[in-house]
Amino acid sequence: MSKPAKSQWNFGELFSPAEMRKVLSVSELTGTVRTLLEKQVGAVWVNGEITNLRTQSSGHIYFTLKDANAQLSCVLFNREKVTQRELLADGQKVLLQGDVTVYEARGQYQLIVRAVELQGIGALQIAFEKLKQQLAAEGLFAPERKRALPKFPARIGLVTSPTGAAIRDVLHVVQRRNPALEIILAPCRVQGDGAAEEIAVAVALLNRYHLTTAQTQRSNDSTKLDLILVTRGGGSLEDLWAFNEEIVARAIFESAIPVVSAVGHEIDFTIADFVADVRAATPSAAAEIITEGVFASREFVGGALDLMRLRVRRRMANEKENFASLAGRWSRLHPRRRLNDSLQRLDDLQSGLLRNLKTAVRARHVVLQNLAGRFLRAKPSVALKTRREYLRQLEKRLNSLGPEQVLARGYSITTDAASGNVLRAAAAVKAGQKLKTRLAKGEIFSRVAE
Amino acid sequence: MSKPARAGDAARGSVPFEDALKKLEGIVDAMEADDLPLETLLARYEEGARLVKICQEKLAEAEVKIQQLEKNAAGELKLKPFESSEE
Repeated sequence: MSKPAKSQWNFGELFSPAEMRKVLSVSELTGTVRTLLEKQVGAVWVNGEITNLRTQSSGHIYFTLKDANAQLSCVLFNREKVTQRELLADGQKVLLQGDVTVYEARGQYQLIVRAVELQGIGALQIAFEKLKQQLAAEGLFAPERKRALPKFPARIGLVTSPTGAAIRDVLHVVQRRNPALEIILAPCRVQGDGAAEEIAVAVALLNRYHLTTAQTQRSNDSTKLDLILVTRGGGSLEDLWAFNEEIVARAIFESAIPVVSAVGHEIDFTIADFVADVRAATPSAAAEIITEGVFASREFVGGALDLMRLRVRRRMANEKENFASLAGRWSRLHPRRRLNDSLQRLDDLQSGLLRNLKTAVRARHVVLQNLAGRFLRAKPSVALKTRREYLRQLEKRLNSLGPEQVLARGYSITTDAASGNVLRAAAAVKAGQKLKTRLAKGEIFSRVAE
Repeated sequence: MSKPARAGDAARGSVPFEDALKKLEGIVDAMEADDLPLETLLARYEEGARLVKICQEKLAEAEVKIQQLEKNAAGELKLKPFESSEE
């Protein structure tokens, strides 16, 4: 209704008779407002933060949804099928779907909540846990199904953004460690709406490409992929969220090619990481793992030639040494050598013999000299004189003991002339017996007269 | 893995890195054991030197080979060279 610019006290047209007659009750007015709101606003989606939440004994939940400048009364009736109802709490950011109406008894407009979506980090984390449990139960994370990576991949698939930091890091590491590695990039967005679908499609595309050789042997170039690397650089939970989506998890699970997942930083673990065959902490770490086989072999290949040369040299030296010692033994066994040995031995023996002989002769010589000396000392004339002397003495003694001296005194010895027996008794003789008497000088033969 | 359908490599007459490396390792091991006859030792050395050359050729590649996979209008998969946003 237009308000004419007149005196403020002139209510003429404002309250025309017809309208002045229509007086609304509070209920009527409230009802009008309610109808107006339900028709004009009706079902809405609204987001904000929960405050002042209280649960009645009936089970109905009342709270106020607010933002910086306004607030809205809300009620979540018991009968509404809202999961996570128990997670509603003050401070929780939510996205609500519901109907705007008026609670006439209080004259308060409010939102009757039909559906709730938790928002913010809390919501994401809850969704993450939920999906993680679900997929784990289905066996997507089972360690037994994880495939080992080939040690010397020659060609790999890469799922990442063509403009991100991840691809740069991966290419740098590969350049440094194994530039011979061929990379097939299936580009995709790695965050935002629809990114999860793009990632899943990229993985599927690479699988398709991998299988084309089996079917079409047209070109000479192989399309075999040894593994797929799914990767993106660091970011917030929301940034990485695409890698927590079910569609990505299933695409990785269904990949016929082993998948390496490297999403975010060391501390970030996404569902893609759990499903993948291998998880790397960062894109660079993933590239290092992938190229490790070739890179580690570099040193070996570099040194292999020297190693082999050394082996051959050593072996040759060994053989030479063996041969030399053998030759030595051979020459020592030669007959001439033995002859020489014998001759030398003979010489030795001869010298020895001579030496011994000389020694023996000298010894005998000495003995001889000794004997000669003794012999010369033992002169016979001397001995003879001595013997003569001795003899003379013996003779003297004998003489002194002999009858000569007695006879000299006049005595005589008378014996029987026949027998020679010495006579001591006159009675012993007979007449006529022949007797011999020895005197000092001479003998007298006689016959017994009587 | 990288061994089966290497039709291209076979056509070019070159051995995959992995195979050459394995053979080389085998030769070095055999040479370490002392009981090879001398002629065999020398033959192995020659073979080993050849394999070292093959491996080093592969290791001496200067540039990473990266291509981009695309699906064209007909749904066919094609490779095209990858254009990096830097360098």
